[in-house]
Amino acid sequence: MISDRIKSNLSREFRESLLAKVGLVLLVAILIMGLFAPVLATHNPHTTGYFDDDGNAYPPMGVSYDSHQWVDGERVTYTAEPSADHYLGTNNIGQDVFSRLLFGARTSLMVGVFGTGLAVLIGVPFGLVSGYYGGRVDDAMMRVADIMLAFPSLVLALALIGVMGSLTIPIPDPFVFAGVADGMPASTPLPGTVTLVVGLVTWVWFARVARGEAMSIRNEEYVKAARSLGANDREILLKHVLPNSLTPVIVLATIQVAAIILLESSLSYLGFSGTTLSWGYEIQQGQDYLRTAWWVSTVPGIGIVLSVISINLLGDWLRDSLDPNIEGEGGGAG
Amino acid sequence: MSFGKFLLKRSLQGLVVIWGVVTVLFGLRAITPGDPVNLIVDPAVDQATRDRIREELGLDQPIYVQYVDYLQDLLVGDLGYSYQSSRPVTTMVLERVPATLELAVAATVIALVIAIPLGVISGTRRNEPADYGATSFSLVGISTPNFWLGIMLILLLAVQIDIFPTGRRPVAFHDALWTFLTTFYVGDLLTWLHHIILPAVTLGTYFTALITRLTRSGMLDEYGKPYVTATEAKGIPGVLIRYKHVLRNTMIPIITVLGLQFGTLLGGAVVTETVFSWPGLGLRLIDGINNLDWPLIQGIIIFIGISYVVINIAVDAIYAKLNPRVIDE
Amino acid sequence: MTEELLRINGLSTRFFTEQGQVNAVDNFDLRIDRGDVFGIVGESGSGKSVTARSIVDLIESPGEITDGEIWYNEPDLADAVREDRPEAVDGTFVDLRRISPERRRSLRGTSFSMIFQDPESSFNPSLTVGEQIAEAVEVQRRASANPRSTRARTRSEEYSLGSFVLSSFLPSKRYVTEASRERAIELLELVGIPDPVERADEHPHEYSGGMLQRAMIAQALAGEPDVLVADEPTTALDVTIQAQVLDLLDELQSETGMTILLITHNLGVIARMCDRVGVMYAGEIVERGTLEDVFDDHVHPYTEGLLGSIPDIEGEAGRLQPIDGNVPSLLDHEMGDRCHFADRCPNAMEDCLEHPPEYDAEGSNDHAVRCVLAAQEYDERRAIPDGYFDETRPAGDKHVDPEDADEGPTVDEPQRPLEEPGGESP
Repeated sequence: MISDRIKSNLSREFRESLLAKVGLVLLVAILIMGLFAPVLATHNPHTTGYFDDDGNAYPPMGVSYDSHQWVDGERVTYTAEPSADHYLGTNNIGQDVFSRLLFGARTSLMVGVFGTGLAVLIGVPFGLVSGYYGGRVDDAMMRVADIMLAFPSLVLALALIGVMGSLTIPIPDPFVFAGVADGMPASTPLPGTVTLVVGLVTWVWFARVARGEAMSIRNEEYVKAARSLGANDREILLKHVLPNSLTPVIVLATIQVAAIILLESSLSYLGFSGTTLSWGYEIQQGQDYLRTAWWVSTVPGIGIVLSVISINLLGDWLRDSLDPNIEGEGGGAG
Repeated sequence: MSFGKFLLKRSLQGLVVIWGVVTVLFGLRAITPGDPVNLIVDPAVDQATRDRIREELGLDQPIYVQYVDYLQDLLVGDLGYSYQSSRPVTTMVLERVPATLELAVAATVIALVIAIPLGVISGTRRNEPADYGATSFSLVGISTPNFWLGIMLILLLAVQIDIFPTGRRPVAFHDALWTFLTTFYVGDLLTWLHHIILPAVTLGTYFTALITRLTRSGMLDEYGKPYVTATEAKGIPGVLIRYKHVLRNTMIPIITVLGLQFGTLLGGAVVTETVFSWPGLGLRLIDGINNLDWPLIQGIIIFIGISYVVINIAVDAIYAKLNPRVIDE
Repeated sequence: MTEELLRINGLSTRFFTEQGQVNAVDNFDLRIDRGDVFGIVGESGSGKSVTARSIVDLIESPGEITDGEIWYNEPDLADAVREDRPEAVDGTFVDLRRISPERRRSLRGTSFSMIFQDPESSFNPSLTVGEQIAEAVEVQRRASANPRSTRARTRSEEYSLGSFVLSSFLPSKRYVTEASRERAIELLELVGIPDPVERADEHPHEYSGGMLQRAMIAQALAGEPDVLVADEPTTALDVTIQAQVLDLLDELQSETGMTILLITHNLGVIARMCDRVGVMYAGEIVERGTLEDVFDDHVHPYTEGLLGSIPDIEGEAGRLQPIDGNVPSLLDHEMGDRCHFADRCPNAMEDCLEHPPEYDAEGSNDHAVRCVLAAQEYDERRAIPDGYFDETRPAGDKHVDPEDADEGPTVDEPQRPLEEPGGESP
């Protein structure tokens, strides 16, 4: 499935494309940020500000803006400007924006990867079967896909979250377990409903791509040969059709990770992610403080844009090297 | 196959899709946990009242009877009553359509007006500075979440430099237009324009970027085709080769992509409306979901699904007119 | 009596690809008389198509005409050019390489027009055939309304983007006029398309391949060109249809007396259509002369090889058979300064290690050959030993089936740009 020719195409395109290199460097940086968040973070992302003995709020409040937070019977705001202690400042309840940026990367990447994985697991078998059998089976299955497409993915995701509620699954943090990241949260919440839902609303793109591949592969000579040698449909699908349809699926999966990161950020911006450790949620929090603390909304947004750009650049590289003929939903739903 | 037959076939397929959408929504509502009666009245109310409400809603019937009733109601355009406000959902949906429509149309116009020239420049001057500019813009454009773009626009153009409002829609376009036509007072129209610019740019940027990208790569593909050389050999003016032949053929497949992206446009509208407090369907949908107001959620999504199907049938019809080969295939 | 129409000296067209410089056409000389049918024959990758495109000015990046002169006999053009660029004029001849690109472009369609190999991909799929032919008619109509002397000097008369945009609303601003549409229908009728009025409104996919090739001929005739360049006009067609299309070309040629430059790998087509022939190999003409010179008195072993395996020239099986050995590499660094055919030549001698000049050969005045055998007899003692070239160039036994040769896939990688130039902007 990954032939030498594909490998040489990949490496040639990579050598020639500055953008692919930029994308790779960016993505590696973001992966490191996410993976090693507890080690790299300067503060626990959940820790809010506190008051010192003189009654002054800490971190210092540069602004007198009502944050709706009550501490010791007083309404205060903790928004601090970027400083040596808080590289990127704090948000309205005194949490460190830099640390939350790192942990936000975790959430985005987890949802992006797991959501895409789920979409592949649903969409690819669906598409392969539809394209391989063709005829009435294909007609019926493609109508199902059409029905899925008629729901904007964000809207359907919202409706599904409405049905299921926002559940999160705590994932224990190995660094904290190993004792190298004291004072960091012991687990990272994976927004379970969101992951499930983004998979459920984007699988149809994988189905379409897999279907197209299966339709062309089923007419290949080697498939006919296998069939004449007595292979049944299941064997042919698993041994021949699936491996040979993977190239476009891989390209689409790359692009979909970016699309899902955007979708996740929209959902959490709208308040449906179930975790506060998310870039979209952070942007929403900051929107009320634009006049006094521009960085609260700005910083996580830059995180989203850079992640999505890096993945899109790698997707372009894969597409240029492998040249599959695919279409996918843009990530602009967010 | 004739064009009429083609259209009929697509319409029938569209009906199947709409039926599917409606059924999926019914199913989602049926599996939603919790007693809807609690959403309508205080949970402490007595059992007799609860039963009465249950009967009024038809919830005491078996599920298939509920389904048939639901389909019958839909056929006459009855989407039920909101749990939250008890108003007819059909009205609640329709009264919000103009705001979303204004936003979507404005965003599309912005996207087309900017993207096509940009894509043409990019596609005909490959690897020149203009091309790099357009390519970079489109990469950033498709990678930026529109809610964040909206917030950044507010930060820069409404907060830092106060030249645009931060949101809201003080006047509807049709009212402003009517005022203008009857009294020649242009103020309302300007107010409308002033308020819609930021939301429309927010929603339109992704599509501008997408269409720029598609136009560029489409034109490059198209220029590689033999008919372009053959057309050049005829000696017709370059303008005609570029626009009448190459651009036209580039745009034909892009029209289909835009049809498929209509859902993305409406999804984007939900978020954009939230950022700018723009009183459209999206804002109402978020309200509905926050209150688990199923009749409202269902009504809005059915409306969106139907518009998607209708738009795509129209797109297919245009596509078939421009590229008659598809009818025969 | 006969009047020279085209005189090409030292034409070189190169492609600058990632693999290196490709010498598609190398120091190429050609003379064509008015009213002649001149055939260029050769294997795929010999540079035939690039030659044709160089003459019609359709070379696109990464290709470039790097050298040479293309003298075109056209008194009106000569008068028009003389004032601005006297150096580009010689009597009634004009060197097309030295006139402005605008003026060069203005010759497309009206002085030179072209028929392409694959009619189905050479028409725009989304416009009607009638519309596309009418465009070509319109080019001619506007050109004759606007004499050569003033044309192309004022760019303002060029159809502008503004006019194109306006034409969406104002039919009067359209480029193609009603008169041209009617003429297009006449042309369709002329090339033997039944029901031309209805067929004019159909799209290319509704035509059969043969019909579409007729339509392309109609389109090429629309400009009433001096030279019709036909690049493999029948290759993509069924054998029976090929004969009809050739008959049509033949008939039109004898009616109008136009000059045809016919590019083909098919010797049967050459024998049937042409007065004079040039045999092309590795970017240059290796043997040229009248039909009789080349078919009966040929000297070059390559010509011999081309003709060798043909049982009956008039028969349908009369197409090019592969010759042993590699298709010549046109990469500059692989070509070497020797006879390019030497590595495949059964009669290669030591002298062949130098690039041969063009020798006069027996037969007509025009008969010339680029082979030392024209000057000396084959001498076995001086033959190059077997396997000599295997060391200098890796050999693979690549036979190219001429049937699909010009499509590219079976051709060596670096040669692909020759047959599919561009993909770039114009």
